Amino acid sequence: MKPFVTLTAIAAPVEIAKIDTGMILPGRYMRRHRRPGHDYSEAFLHDLRFDEKEQPRADFSLNQPAYQHCEILVTDADFGCGSSREGAAYAVLDFGLRALIGPSFGDIFYANCLQNGVLPIVLPYPAIHALWRQLRATPGATITIDLPAQSVIAPDGSTFDFEINALRKQRLIDGVDDIDVTLGHIEAIRAFEETRQADMPWLPTSG
Amino acid sequence: MIDAPLHPAAPLTLFEKLWNSHVVVVSPHGEDLLYVDFNMINEGGAFLAFDQLRLEGRKARRPTQQMAVTDHYLPTINRAAGTAGIANPEIRRVVEMQAENARDFALPHIDMHHRMQGIIHVIAPELGIAQPGMMITCNDSHTATNGAFGLLASPIGASNQLRHVIATQTVWMNRPKPMRIVIDGELPDGVTPKDIILSIIARIGVGGAVGHAIEYAGSTIRAMSMEGRMTICNMSVEAGAKIGLIAPDDTTFAYLAGRPKSPQGDAWDKALAYWRTLHSDEGAVFARELHIDVSTLAPMVSWGTSPEDCAPIDGTVPDPAAIADADRRRHVERALEYLGLAPLTPLQQIRIDRVFIGSCTNSRIEDLRSAAAVLKGRRCVVPGMVSPGSSSVKRQAEAEGLDLIFKAAGLEWRDSGCSMCNGSNGELVAPGERSASTTNRNFEGRQGRDSRTHIMSPAMVAAAAVVGHLADVRSMAVKEIAS
Repeated sequence: MKPFVTLTAIAAPVEIAKIDTGMILPGRYMRRHRRPGHDYSEAFLHDLRFDEKEQPRADFSLNQPAYQHCEILVTDADFGCGSSREGAAYAVLDFGLRALIGPSFGDIFYANCLQNGVLPIVLPYPAIHALWRQLRATPGATITIDLPAQSVIAPDGSTFDFEINALRKQRLIDGVDDIDVTLGHIEAIRAFEETRQADMPWLPTSG
Repeated sequence: MIDAPLHPAAPLTLFEKLWNSHVVVVSPHGEDLLYVDFNMINEGGAFLAFDQLRLEGRKARRPTQQMAVTDHYLPTINRAAGTAGIANPEIRRVVEMQAENARDFALPHIDMHHRMQGIIHVIAPELGIAQPGMMITCNDSHTATNGAFGLLASPIGASNQLRHVIATQTVWMNRPKPMRIVIDGELPDGVTPKDIILSIIARIGVGGAVGHAIEYAGSTIRAMSMEGRMTICNMSVEAGAKIGLIAPDDTTFAYLAGRPKSPQGDAWDKALAYWRTLHSDEGAVFARELHIDVSTLAPMVSWGTSPEDCAPIDGTVPDPAAIADADRRRHVERALEYLGLAPLTPLQQIRIDRVFIGSCTNSRIEDLRSAAAVLKGRRCVVPGMVSPGSSSVKRQAEAEGLDLIFKAAGLEWRDSGCSMCNGSNGELVAPGERSASTTNRNFEGRQGRDSRTHIMSPAMVAAAAVVGHLADVRSMAVKEIAS
């Protein structure tokens, strides 16, 4: 997992509420293996970015040249609600995004982003409207995210603080994988397992 | 010597009892490491997890506490031909990969030819795998369905989190806050558990229960069958809750008795004694409580592109101009544009092009009976299909003659799978088509690109199929179908 400490990058406004994971990664892309050179970048918000004839929709922000190298999206409410498809977080990552800023996120999607090194940041609506306003006024403007300080610095220099679970924050900063951390507790897991099997020998197995 | 504890244990909610009994490690950072009694794996995206495990050289730590199932990508026709009968090569490949991954990681697999094949959340209860007191995970957002049996059932991400559960038999999770929804009142005729959960989501919104585990309680729940309870728990995630559950009772135990994986003999008695302790204590504190009276509830239908966009069938499409909240208004305007609906259109005037009866929400035997009761002796004026939730539901429905009723009404009688709920098996609603569906989600593009979905109960879908527009099943004569 790629560590995330600080980031200064172009941010794009996406002012559509309730973009669900099926819009982030349309179902038809979920059948694809994800390998280097054949990732989910094309799939990301595909039907919002392109019309039925596969032509870019001119009115969609991400299609404007100023946002070509954006690494941050400033989204509307409930971004990533819906299906638990983790590919949605991969699509965000493969598109080249490192952070999402919005008033709220789908619960499962939020966790999936953190697991994949993408930082979702919740800010209240007034802050989101302020960011949208500045980004619209200066397409291609940058936002700075300081994860250790838990702050977002807007193009005009104003600062918004955000909350993040301390464990997730540290693992993002360290770029550490969850399985490695868990297997450090393997003795506790084994002991728990033995007790549980002794107490509840009826628990089902698939064998 | 002390006869009684000076400070008796604080009363706990059922959720807290279940959560506490699965904590292996308490992290100082807020997440707990929970033991997973049983993990279920569908083919939707799981190959990403297996790809990564292979790269890392990791194995399944407890293969017999895992089960692979194929449900999302299986077409509901042409099963006898095996994978060769799957026309789309990408879909065929996903089905093949699941079989290869199950074999490589030594995981038992309910595959396309298995006698018990079906939608994972339908077959786990049928097999007796979903037992009170357990922690079950699955790479599917509707995993809370299993919580109807008084257990923790939580969705996990199909890649990183699934990889973690396969490799460790544990999962890191933030402890949600307990929330209780108390449902009282006798359900009127024509009103079903689906209508209850839709009305709850309409009331609290798709984000209404984020960060909470919902316990459904009250006299209506106590009087409800396991099938109905599963429908309610199934849609918890549409209100934002990963976990939804119901305390087990005699209805639960009667359902479990004699299932293939249920305890037998002495083990049953011991299990039962434990299961009877699984309820919220008197005086337990919930972070949120909601009370609902369903005695005057009407059948619900969706008019928008989010499960919260629902209204009673005797209502109208909302008028965005009358919505004060600017952000809500923007959503409603977009939803009506997507669905091609004018503000204030009476819901019963919305014409449909097809129907779908199926999905983990509403494909169990009771659901099929209630749709068949409406369709008996009638013809549908739009095409549609019925996909039973499992192969055993299909066998039972055929034994009861329900398949003949559906076919006589003009609907296709299919095999079991997730099918047109999200179309990952290629069974889609065509662009611009409007579908009345018993499914759980009406998002943009959910049933196929530019598909227009209205979600409702099986009886309401059947009523819509007969008249060609959304309709109030309460105004139609319904033939009783005996169970």
